[in-house]
Formats: sequence, structure tokens, C-alpha cells
Amino acid sequence: MSLYQWLLFFHVTGAFFLIGGIVIAGILNLAAIVKNRPPSEVAALFGLIRFAVPLIGLGLLLTLAIGLWLVHEVGYGYGQTWIVVAIVLWVLAGALGNVDGRYQRQTGELARRLAAAGDAPSPELWARLRNPRALAISYGSGLMAFAVLGLMIWKPGV
Amino acid sequence: MLALVRPDSWNLPLFLHVLGASLTFGATATVALLGFAGLRGDPERALWLRRLTFWVGFVLLVPAFILMRGTALWILDKEYPGGHHEPGWVGVGFFVTEPGALLVLVMVILAWLSRSPNSRGAVAVPWLASILLAGLAIAWFAMSAKPGS
Repeated sequence: MSLYQWLLFFHVTGAFFLIGGIVIAGILNLAAIVKNRPPSEVAALFGLIRFAVPLIGLGLLLTLAIGLWLVHEVGYGYGQTWIVVAIVLWVLAGALGNVDGRYQRQTGELARRLAAAGDAPSPELWARLRNPRALAISYGSGLMAFAVLGLMIWKPGV
Repeated sequence: MLALVRPDSWNLPLFLHVLGASLTFGATATVALLGFAGLRGDPERALWLRRLTFWVGFVLLVPAFILMRGTALWILDKEYPGGHHEPGWVGVGFFVTEPGALLVLVMVILAWLSRSPNSRGAVAVPWLASILLAGLAIAWFAMSAKPGS
């Protein structure tokens, strides 16, 4: 196999890790907010989200590093519009994902504390789970990753 | 270097195929995570996690798998009309997704049966999901690196 084939494999692997991790976190987050769940159930779901975090981190790293290497290997220009837009979206998705990750960690900790203190329904936890700004950041970050996937396939301007 | 010379008309099926494959990977991993989590802890919590495993499998994994497999046939028809001169890596996709479809079906049925406290099928669900994940990894290696081409 050529270097190009190996690079493409690792780049696609990064994309699968990134999008797969986003899907895992998205499903578990959605499962936590669709019903008025007791704090212990929310804590259990947020506890499982932590398995998606290294997948997303590794995916972000592989997609960017191998992606830039591929640009050089194939002979695309680093200034081409679709590559610049993809990098901007990647940075934005990563930054928003980081903000969301911190918020989700705090929500998980609150759910664990409430579960240990009697597991009674809490308006504070409910408000955090359904915070529209947090949800917009969370799902916006995920949608940006899907948009990058579209750019990688259509390569507008090539 | 297929990506460099790909006709525009292949982009939509390819995008949907990759999207379906990514969703399948994420949904399968979620089924595995929830399934393993549903094997321990107090019985009431375990039962709730098993119910959730079934819903993720039924509502997300099945449609994602169908999207992945359906768009694979769509793009294959464009790239190799009539199935002529298909390279070996295409066969790997069939080798994984045909038994994979059966695996998804068995997994969802077992997950559905596991909603009952007396069911023993719950143990198999996360392991079947793990086997499917390994198969998906083989397929994405073949589809992306296209060895032998």
C-alpha cells in the first residue's frame, strides 16, 4: 500500500472516531434530557459519556494532523477555500466542544451529588439539562463536524 | 486517487454512505456501552439500561445500518454498473455487512427480550455489538485504504 492509502485510512479512522464519539455523546445526552429522569439515572448516563471523550479527542487530533499531511501529499494548496473553511469549522467545533465538555462535566457532578443526597428530582438539574444555550453549543459543535465531513466529500472549488 | 477524479454525481451517495457508517459506528458503540453497563449494578437500574439499549438499537442502529448499506449499493451501481470489474475491497464491504445485518437483527431481538427481568439474552447484546464494531473497523480499512487498488 502507498503512503497516500495509509494516510487516507488514518484520516478516515480519525473521522470515524470523531463523529462516532459525537454520536455516542449525543445519544446519551438526548437520553438524559428527553424525560424527567431522577438524578441517579442522569448521573449514570453522563458517566457513560466519559467513554466518548478520548474517542473525540483522538479523532480531532488524527483528522487535523493526517489531514494536513494529506494536503501536502496530494498537492492541494493550504489556501484552497474548502481546506480553509474545513480548518475554521474544525477549530470552532473543537472550541465549542471544549466549552460543552466542561458544562457537561459540571452537570454530571451535580447529578451525582443529588443522587447521593436522596435522588429527589431537582429543578436546578432539569434547568441545566435543558439550558437552550448549552444545547445550542453542544449540537452546534456536532453539526460543524458533520459539515466538515460534507466539505471533505464535495471539495467545493476543486 | 479515486477521490481526486470522482464525478460530482457520486458525492451525495458517498456522503450518505459515510454518514450512515459513522452513525452505525456511534450507535453500535452506544449499544455496547449501555449493554455492558446494564449487566451490573442493582436489578432495577440494569433493567432500565437494557430498555435503553433496545431503543438505541431499534431507533438509531437499524436506520443507520440501512442508510449505510443502501447508499453503498447506490454508489456501487454508479461506480461499477452491472457489478463488472469490482475490486476486492468492495467485496470486503459485503463480507462485513451481510453477516453484520444478521448480527444487528439478532442484537435488537435479544435487546428487546432483555427488557424482561428474567431474560438471559442481555449478556450477549454488548458482546455482539463489540463483534460488529470489529467488523466495521475491517470494512472502513478496506473502504478507505482500498488495498490492492
